[in-house]
Amino acid sequence: MQSYISIENLAKSYGVVTAVNNINLGIEKGEFFSLLGPSGCGKSTLLRMIAGFETPTTGAIKLEGADVTDVPAHKRPTNMMFQSYALFPHLTVGRNIAFGLQQDGLDKGEIKKRIGEVAEKLQLTALLDRKPAQLSGGQRQRVALARALVKRPKVLLLDEPLGALDKNLRTETQLELVRLQRELGLTFIIVTHDQHEAMTVSTRIAIMKQGQVLQVGTPSEVYETPQSRYVAKFLGETNVFAGGRADRSGGELQIESDEAGGPVRAAFTERVPLDRPFWVSVRPERVELATSGGGLEGTVEQLSYTGVERHYRVRLKSGATLDARRVNLGAESDLAVGDRVFASWSPQASRLLAE
Amino acid sequence: MRTAATPSSKTSWGRRILIAIPYAWLLVLFLAPFALVAGISLSTVRLGMPPFEPLTAWDGSILNLRLNFENFLYVLTDDTYLLAYLTSLKIAAISTAAMLFIAYPLAYGIASCSPSSRSLLVFLVIVPFWSSMLIRVYSWMSILRNDGLLNALLLKIGLIGEPLRILNTETAIYIGIVYTYLPFMVLPIYSNLSSADRTLIEAARDLGCARISAFWRVTFPLSLPGVLAGCALVFIPVVGEFVIPDLLGGADTQMIGRAIWLEFFNNRDWPMAAAVTIVLLALLVVPIVYFQSRQAHTRT
Repeated sequence: MQSYISIENLAKSYGVVTAVNNINLGIEKGEFFSLLGPSGCGKSTLLRMIAGFETPTTGAIKLEGADVTDVPAHKRPTNMMFQSYALFPHLTVGRNIAFGLQQDGLDKGEIKKRIGEVAEKLQLTALLDRKPAQLSGGQRQRVALARALVKRPKVLLLDEPLGALDKNLRTETQLELVRLQRELGLTFIIVTHDQHEAMTVSTRIAIMKQGQVLQVGTPSEVYETPQSRYVAKFLGETNVFAGGRADRSGGELQIESDEAGGPVRAAFTERVPLDRPFWVSVRPERVELATSGGGLEGTVEQLSYTGVERHYRVRLKSGATLDARRVNLGAESDLAVGDRVFASWSPQASRLLAE
Repeated sequence: MRTAATPSSKTSWGRRILIAIPYAWLLVLFLAPFALVAGISLSTVRLGMPPFEPLTAWDGSILNLRLNFENFLYVLTDDTYLLAYLTSLKIAAISTAAMLFIAYPLAYGIASCSPSSRSLLVFLVIVPFWSSMLIRVYSWMSILRNDGLLNALLLKIGLIGEPLRILNTETAIYIGIVYTYLPFMVLPIYSNLSSADRTLIEAARDLGCARISAFWRVTFPLSLPGVLAGCALVFIPVVGEFVIPDLLGGADTQMIGRAIWLEFFNNRDWPMAAAVTIVLLALLVVPIVYFQSRQAHTRT
């Protein structure tokens, strides 16, 4: 089936540098889709190609089945919210929002009506006569959003839209964006390097590295079942051990790991061939620490308290480190630095990674 | 709590001295000469050295102050001066407009080049300053003469049958002024355009503007401070320009700079020359003040 937006074999090179390398993606109507990756991974270039600011070297971009690869930016039914907001400093907030509508040749009454609607939705009504220089960061962000939304684009592109906001305002605005997106039923594509932000707002996330998409999935899919060490480490923290000989009994695997210094249990999966190098990943919050019993033996090396959680760094007998976390439920920690501990987790908490 | 309002006395003295330097500069090199000229403009011409009566004289124990406004009345009512002022303003206005039309595309072109070729092109704009302005104006004389380079070229390619008379006409003044002052128009516009935020153009295109309408709706309005600075930088000195009209212009084009020179050196009428100067200054202060307030306005 043809996706609402389909990106086919898309590549972009600047001379010898390849920014985007043969990407295939399908984005459905009404999705809040994230392009997530570190800086320089090609996520912004991909977004700019969808907007029409960059011409792909090869490949095609289709919107509702129509090829828009060669349609110039000003004729595409997409609108972009820029990282710097790119508000026109010589125009008032009202005229900034009206800019795109005037360009479309709408009559004055209609323009006024639409500005009124979007201004009310984004609490900008009182600010329409101000210049951008007179606004706070959060207000500017809302004006940039209003200016793009008022055009009623088929796809709204957001390039690191919340990067300039402080942490509290950012969390608030993320929820606001999700609310708006649901209300309007629009398709949003957001570029971000903040995995927490991507998880919070998205219906699906594409994790990118060096111009390629490594994995696409819902936030829980990519977090719970990463397919590579890169994805596992990029989305939150994890412990990774190289796997050795694996014995299967029923649905469970007993894996020898020199790095972990003992056997590690995992659920069996067809996805990862065990006759080639593979790794086992376990999230710190799934690791249980006990002063006695079975599991990997080690010593508590560091203990940090973040309020919500306690973080433990355990030095295993093998020499490797293992991170564990416990949610703060009010009790004092029964573990102290230097204590001998045994780390264990359920087989379902282990993830096998082929690369 | 630290505050900037109560600096130590030592730094405040340093600050005061630093602030005092430009004020002292203005006082010695601008206000004092201006006061002298204003004084002379109100005195009466006489033979001798200096060629004007002092403004004050002691009559026994009484200090007499004699202010002669005749020169001003004459300047403001005499047709020759009025015409010279108008001619100067007209020539300055037309040549400023002509320079804007040439300089804007030039500055825009330079600003759109890659950073490495930009500096070369800016260098080329400045290169003419390395030779004396007088020499450059003299070379225009030899280019524009009846038997000069331009006419020789036009005759040779057969565009004209007999030499055009360009030298000693108003056209020659325009050519000279536009040539000489063009860099002063190019540089402020270039500096404005090269520091412009390019994402604003992308934003305009994203909102539906083709390249041309993005230029007129975003780039041009945002470059107006540069345009205004360029216009002020050329208009003001061109109004009082003396060398170019004197060397390239004809006897029938009387500009105010030349009138001042004639009063001063030919007629040795310093009070009249000073009065003409004061009126010219008043004419120029109006656009300067307008420009300053406009600048202050756009900054808020």
